[in-house]
Amino acid sequence: MSNGFKQVSFNDRMNRIGIITVSAAIVANFVPAVYLWWSYGVIPSIPDILKIWAVAAAAYGVSWIVQPLSFFAVLGTVGQYISWIAGTVSTIRVPASTMAQKAADVEPGTPEGDVISAIGIATSVFVSVGIVTIFVFVGSWVIPMLPSIIHKAFKYILPAIFGALFVSLSERYPKVGASTFAASIAITVAAVAFKIPDWLIGILIIFSGILLSRVFYKITCHRVKD
Amino acid sequence: MDFIQVINGKGMWIASSLMVIVVILQSGIFFAEALSESKKLGLSQNHCIKAVRSAIITSLGPSLAPVVVLMALIPVLGAPTTWMRVCDIGAAETELAIATMSANVIGVDIRSATYDIRAYSYSLWGMALNNLGWLLFTLLFTHRMSGGLQKLNEKYDPNWIKYLMAGAALGLFGYLLAGQVITKGAIGVKMGHLYAGAIAGLAMFALSKIGKKYSVIREPALGIAMIIGMLSAAVLS
Repeated sequence: MSNGFKQVSFNDRMNRIGIITVSAAIVANFVPAVYLWWSYGVIPSIPDILKIWAVAAAAYGVSWIVQPLSFFAVLGTVGQYISWIAGTVSTIRVPASTMAQKAADVEPGTPEGDVISAIGIATSVFVSVGIVTIFVFVGSWVIPMLPSIIHKAFKYILPAIFGALFVSLSERYPKVGASTFAASIAITVAAVAFKIPDWLIGILIIFSGILLSRVFYKITCHRVKD
Repeated sequence: MDFIQVINGKGMWIASSLMVIVVILQSGIFFAEALSESKKLGLSQNHCIKAVRSAIITSLGPSLAPVVVLMALIPVLGAPTTWMRVCDIGAAETELAIATMSANVIGVDIRSATYDIRAYSYSLWGMALNNLGWLLFTLLFTHRMSGGLQKLNEKYDPNWIKYLMAGAALGLFGYLLAGQVITKGAIGVKMGHLYAGAIAGLAMFALSKIGKKYSVIREPALGIAMIIGMLSAAVLS
């Protein structure tokens, strides 16, 4: 009971910090555009600002909603607040969260898992910002010097991370993992055949993962009862 | 006023640094809070050190991934804006796409000589308004979702909720992985990507097994599996 109370106040505090920091990010987000207006008097007209917003919404509006919803389960509260400001969620934040919890030997979804996940994700931000900052200054000098095999290898970074992470996430639930992978391939192939929009494919596959987890949960539960 | 000087000037650096400062400060605050809470939960310093080390190793490779796109962005948008936008939400490619589409609103091609400070302001507003989508959703709904999760754990068997979370996470990454491997135009397989995903997956499986016996492998396991997958695909294709 007291553990539950601790969790509520920790969560409340995290939500408060999250709301304050994301609000600050929203302001910081517009500063360069406003600076240009202040210093040089250049700004799109109001109708043009609305046009720009419409273009952005058409291109990415669905992602604004679907992505944070889809990732919340695996990020947790703190992870959510950090990830949707710092970005690179699927390739840096989620792997850092997952591996930090594995290294510390804690279970996801527990209070211990949540704090370790938060530590992992925050650490990943220091790393990614540090590296980007370094390369903004030395990149044009260093990058041409890298061997071409390195350039070639980086083309495959996304499938490599997703493949490794998928196996890592399947460790505790191998049957859910295997069946969800099969479902992912089947649904993606069907989507190409029937021209289903990309964001809908994601939702369908996530739902199939949830359905399959329900099936295997029931099977496991029955076995335990017997 | 010289366009290149403006977009790379001191004022732009200062204006662009605010977002990066918020990103770092936010993570710093959450890090400190989580560390303090970990002590209350009875986790040792050793647990946290392992978590930090693993996170560092795991983030190194993927952090290098946007570096090539960085080089494409800097000549077009200037170093300050590139630095800010790659450090915040929105992939480097997304930022370039939005910057381009925003300039198109007044019929200016971002790579042409006509891309001036006025068109640049359109790109800045475009990137800001696009990022606002994710920021606003996070601001308005995260605390609701976080409360919802607690209610789920109280109402239903927590064991089922763990299965549910696993299923959702596996669905999400199954979708991302399948999207990398299967071609979008006509039904087919991207062989290089298939090699990368499959070999990295197998490597992760092997390293996890080894990691159970030799815990020193656990921290860098994902990083190593990823590199094995990437290099194998580069060599095989």
